[in-house]
Amino acid sequence: MNALSANRVLASRELLPQLLVAGIFLLLVILASLLLGAGPISAHVSLETLTGSTHPDAWFVISELRFPRTVIAVVTGLALGLAGALLQSMTRNPLAEPGLLGVSAGSGFAVALAILLGASTATLTTVVAQLGALAGCGLVIAATRVQGLGNDPVRLVLAGATLSGLLLALTSMLMLIDQRAADEIRFWITGSVAGKPLAVLATTLPFIGMALMLVLAVAKPLAAMSLGEKAAVGLGHHPGRIRLMVTLAVALLVGSATALAGPLIFVGLVVPFITRAIAGPDIRRTLWLCLPVGPAVVLGADVVSRLVAAPAEMPLGVVTALIGAPVLLAIVRAGRMPSL
Amino acid sequence: MSRPATVALNVLQRCFTILVLAGLSSGAVTADTRSLDTAFGPLEISGQPKRIVTLYEGALDTALAVGAHTVGAVITRGGNHVADYIKPAAGNINIVGTPGETNIEAVLAAQPDLILAAPRTSEQQYRLLSRLAPVVVPDIPMFEADTWKRETRLFARAMGRADQAEQVIEQVEARIAEVASLVRERIPADQRNATLIRWMPQGPLVMAEGLFSAAIIQATGFRPNSKGLIKPGRPHSEPLSLENLSGLDQNWMFLATLNADGDKALAAARKSPAFARLNAVQANQVIAVSGQLWTSASGPLAALAILDDIEAAVLALQP
Repeated sequence: MNALSANRVLASRELLPQLLVAGIFLLLVILASLLLGAGPISAHVSLETLTGSTHPDAWFVISELRFPRTVIAVVTGLALGLAGALLQSMTRNPLAEPGLLGVSAGSGFAVALAILLGASTATLTTVVAQLGALAGCGLVIAATRVQGLGNDPVRLVLAGATLSGLLLALTSMLMLIDQRAADEIRFWITGSVAGKPLAVLATTLPFIGMALMLVLAVAKPLAAMSLGEKAAVGLGHHPGRIRLMVTLAVALLVGSATALAGPLIFVGLVVPFITRAIAGPDIRRTLWLCLPVGPAVVLGADVVSRLVAAPAEMPLGVVTALIGAPVLLAIVRAGRMPSL
Repeated sequence: MSRPATVALNVLQRCFTILVLAGLSSGAVTADTRSLDTAFGPLEISGQPKRIVTLYEGALDTALAVGAHTVGAVITRGGNHVADYIKPAAGNINIVGTPGETNIEAVLAAQPDLILAAPRTSEQQYRLLSRLAPVVVPDIPMFEADTWKRETRLFARAMGRADQAEQVIEQVEARIAEVASLVRERIPADQRNATLIRWMPQGPLVMAEGLFSAAIIQATGFRPNSKGLIKPGRPHSEPLSLENLSGLDQNWMFLATLNADGDKALAAARKSPAFARLNAVQANQVIAVSGQLWTSASGPLAALAILDDIEAAVLALQP
């Protein structure tokens, strides 16, 4: 017990340089996001505008188009990175990613259903996305309880792929029912942060705040659980209660991220992968690092999405999938799966 | 595929046509026989077909405009039935597919004696359909100002109603002249630049100058301009980044979605700050239009409906 808490203090101090580097990197990505776009306002003009010269068109593009999507991408990345780290730690499976396991698909399907039924207000979409994510989480937990599935990372991902496939088919069915809603749904399920008003944050931030409080409460017991359930019980924790709290936190985070940017897959895989590579498997350390790395990954992907197809934009979900798929292969091919 | 096979098929098909016509209307066989240039070679048709299936919105429009009897049509893009503007004329017409996918069984069940298909129908599809009835696939360059007139004439000749087509085209031209003089009267010559935009969730699409509705806009005196954002041969651009919207700012904006509901599109667009600051928006010169009519349809009836929209918009201007 003593050794464990001593170790924790040591861990956060050791982590300072990495946190600093990741933080500076995030600041650079934020700067890039404000400077670069698919339109005629160049990085040079943007920089001049940011440093004080008056250029109304450039100022409009930076303040009304690039700034909102930057903030939304940062919050989305934060939520998805944390959700991935939590889910992987709890299932002790490096492939447990909300997108791959069908949590995002559950959330996306729920929103598609809401759009079909005529929903349009941001509030409704947020709540619906949360409920869908919660249902998806429930199915994942149920899947980990199936004999043998919880211990085999690849089989769990297969189960998730099946669930995602089913939900995607159902979503396609919704689009066939009503061609009018199909447009909106099709855009929605590829994921994007472009053109979203900052007001959508108002409805999601309370949920993310709740999730962050849960994360703070659950970080230490979750680390204890990685020593094994018996050890965790020995340290005075209740594994069942911890699982419930983690599940709730993941659902809130993924639901919020989906409400903001649509169901982005692979982000929850890539972010913990990077943080583990930097800081090792201890959840208390990876969670801290997720705070700068998650936003940097999503925002970086968004900047790429603006540049590769100008004057149009590539959907953000396509870019994150392009980044994420090789990471998935790398983890699976690494022979021995890192045990969490 | 091999040319002899095509020729053989054509011959078979002509025999079939003649047989069908002979069976349907004994005595009318000697009626005028005409040869049509189609994308898959010349096609001979005689008499006035009585059961026409249209697999193209422009073909349905023409068929109804010249008073032919249609027994099947495809839905419009973004809708669940034919476009709203043509519903009164089409009635509760039998649906045999979407613009992208034809339900061959439904076409067969409609027992057509003539099939009017879309430009760019694939050869495989053409061969399949040709086994049911003669198929007319236009071989007319798309997205040019007179594309719709040439298509209308081709389809009308196939239906044995060339005279009616000329009457309808004259009617459209007279109406164009009427609206054009109204535009000249109400809008100064240097205030007639326009864009035609489809507002999508992904971002705005700018439609090509050669698109049917853009050609009608142009004929009435407006100057549609897509600012070089469209690849050659495409009907519209990719969904553009909102950062590019200000580059499309003109005196006038015609705004549609893929759906019928133009007003809803306008409401959605107004929420975007990039849209709200456009000069056309501030001058209140944005005209919300139906995407079904303005970005998917073509043909004489569509032309008349579009002209009505333009006239209403110009009349709504404060004198």
